[in-house]
Amino acid sequence: MYCHGVDIGASAVKVILISTARGVVDQATASSGYGARDTARRLVAETLSRQKLSPADVRYTIATGYGRVSFAEANAEVSEISCLAQGARHLCPDAHTVIDIGGQDSKAIRLLPNGTVANFALNDKCAAGTGRFLEVMAHILGVDLEALSHLSQQATSPVTISSTCTVFAESEVISHISAGESREDIIAGLHRAIVDRVLGMAARVGLAPLVVLTGGVANDDGLVQALSSRAGLDISVPESPEYVCALGAALIAAARSQ
Amino acid sequence: MAHRRLQATRQLNRLMTKHYLAARHFHPMRPIAYVSSGAPVEILRTMGFLPVYPENYTALCGARKASLSLCQTAEAQGYSPDLCSYARTHLGAIADPSAAPMGGLPRPDLILCCNNICGTILKWFQTVSRLYDVPLFVLDTPYVKGKLKEETINYVNTQLEKLIQALEKNFPRRYREARLRKVVALSNEATALWRDIRYLCTARPSPLNAPDLFVNMAPMVVLRGTAAAVRYYRALKTEVEERVARGIGAVPVERYRLLWDNIAIWYELFRFHRYFERYDACFVVDTYTGAWSGLVECDDPIRGLACTYTPILLNIGFAQRAERMIDLIEAFQVDGFVMHANRSCKPYSLGQYAIQRLVSERTGVPGLIVEADMCDPRAYSESQLKTRIQAFMETLSMRDSPYVGPRHL
Repeated sequence: MYCHGVDIGASAVKVILISTARGVVDQATASSGYGARDTARRLVAETLSRQKLSPADVRYTIATGYGRVSFAEANAEVSEISCLAQGARHLCPDAHTVIDIGGQDSKAIRLLPNGTVANFALNDKCAAGTGRFLEVMAHILGVDLEALSHLSQQATSPVTISSTCTVFAESEVISHISAGESREDIIAGLHRAIVDRVLGMAARVGLAPLVVLTGGVANDDGLVQALSSRAGLDISVPESPEYVCALGAALIAAARSQ
Repeated sequence: MAHRRLQATRQLNRLMTKHYLAARHFHPMRPIAYVSSGAPVEILRTMGFLPVYPENYTALCGARKASLSLCQTAEAQGYSPDLCSYARTHLGAIADPSAAPMGGLPRPDLILCCNNICGTILKWFQTVSRLYDVPLFVLDTPYVKGKLKEETINYVNTQLEKLIQALEKNFPRRYREARLRKVVALSNEATALWRDIRYLCTARPSPLNAPDLFVNMAPMVVLRGTAAAVRYYRALKTEVEERVARGIGAVPVERYRLLWDNIAIWYELFRFHRYFERYDACFVVDTYTGAWSGLVECDDPIRGLACTYTPILLNIGFAQRAERMIDLIEAFQVDGFVMHANRSCKPYSLGQYAIQRLVSERTGVPGLIVEADMCDPRAYSESQLKTRIQAFMETLSMRDSPYVGPRHL
């Protein structure tokens, strides 16, 4: 029996196909763009055709993420918080805290011993401390998003960047560029700014080990290192951290289909 | 059916309209006093002043969706957008009465400000007193951490005595203790009825939901110490008792019982709570409408007022506020609590994260913090709130049946 987890995020759509007997059998992702719903449909079809399955083989689909309500093909929609908790606990059974840094928001989730949610916090009305923030900064620094990680690790003296607002931080970065600061130091400063903001939010729910970092931004090693050293804790990053939410959705779908 | 309306609501509308009309037209000779919500209004009533509450009026502006433009008017005059939205709404209504519901409030003859609710009220009322060139009387109630001290009571008591003297000196009005006793007795009667009504919501299903409590608290604040308030709450109590007797709930299905903390989101009052109804949740109790439930000791009524009005909800320590919440959670069998981090009301919102932690640790009941504002809709982000509400309600439902996923995958 197969189930789909469809995570329609602010930046990207992620789809996971699981078989209740074999686990994850396929996954797909694409940029959300304007028609996130159509993108989700296309990715769902892609996973099915690759696995030589038809829509009838899928017993249950759960949609999550910002676009979850728009995906009419789903049997149900579940919030990202519940999906992330499920996905992270499944991949890391010792997880007690999940930090997710996505395209448009960041979240901190504290888990109960049984894996359900004890408490959670989401970022406030601002995109600072999210993937979008890094995208904007990478653009003005003239580097690829992927390059941020290794450049950050070559910094010698990271600059200070106020973390209050993406738009103002952008002007701050431009000032640093004009002042002749190195790219590496600016990027390391940006990482610190994000980490400080995320940790401030995570403190509301409490950071109990093991801390699992999910979301696309978790692919940035420079940021993971900054987070780990600022928090004074080991941070565990699952393989394909951007798929954790979709995986959680698929797992909940599997449970509900029974 | 989305929301079951109370019969009493019609009577309430008449009562409140009459109150605001009275202030403007019915009693041209009675001096009008602007009063802060937590001030001992009984003294003013005893002396024949007509109390008007800018806070109640601005909440009404919020509910009528008029507060945003009034806030903007105040901001255009140079008031900071970080200032309390009640203050901005009122200052905006003074600047442009034509844009304000009921043409704004009538001009005051005096202002009584008690700082037991916040510090902003002092500067806000000071500004209003300057704008109208009327006297401002300030009652200073020290913050109560732990037990209410004798010297604090004496300090407030002395001020109340001086306030009476100052009012007698400035206005042709006499103070009589016998009259104060009568007013305090009426005040206590309404307070006791309101307390009974709130505690009728310990029933399952709860006969009232938070919007009912918010709407029906108006006479408790505005008409405290009058026979009209007593009459209203008697009628309301009968109706609510009837609901309980017949097993009628405020929401169609009550599966989760919630507690609300902080002032209402006036401009989204019904719509906001309807999101919770979708998850079969009812707000059976709140901390806000319970803030007017202290009875006044009548032996020495002035001292009694000092004892009741000093340790009110916003003038006590976080630990005590948490204790009050824990008591309510137990008494009302609450499954979860929602705290409104109200951008405008700093004293109410400060410490909510600490209180949330403390209450959840002690009771095991989860809490959600939502960010918004009581009168400024610009601080209300619907899609973000919906996500939080959905996640919170899923948390409550999954607690009943934890699901950890197929182990073998």
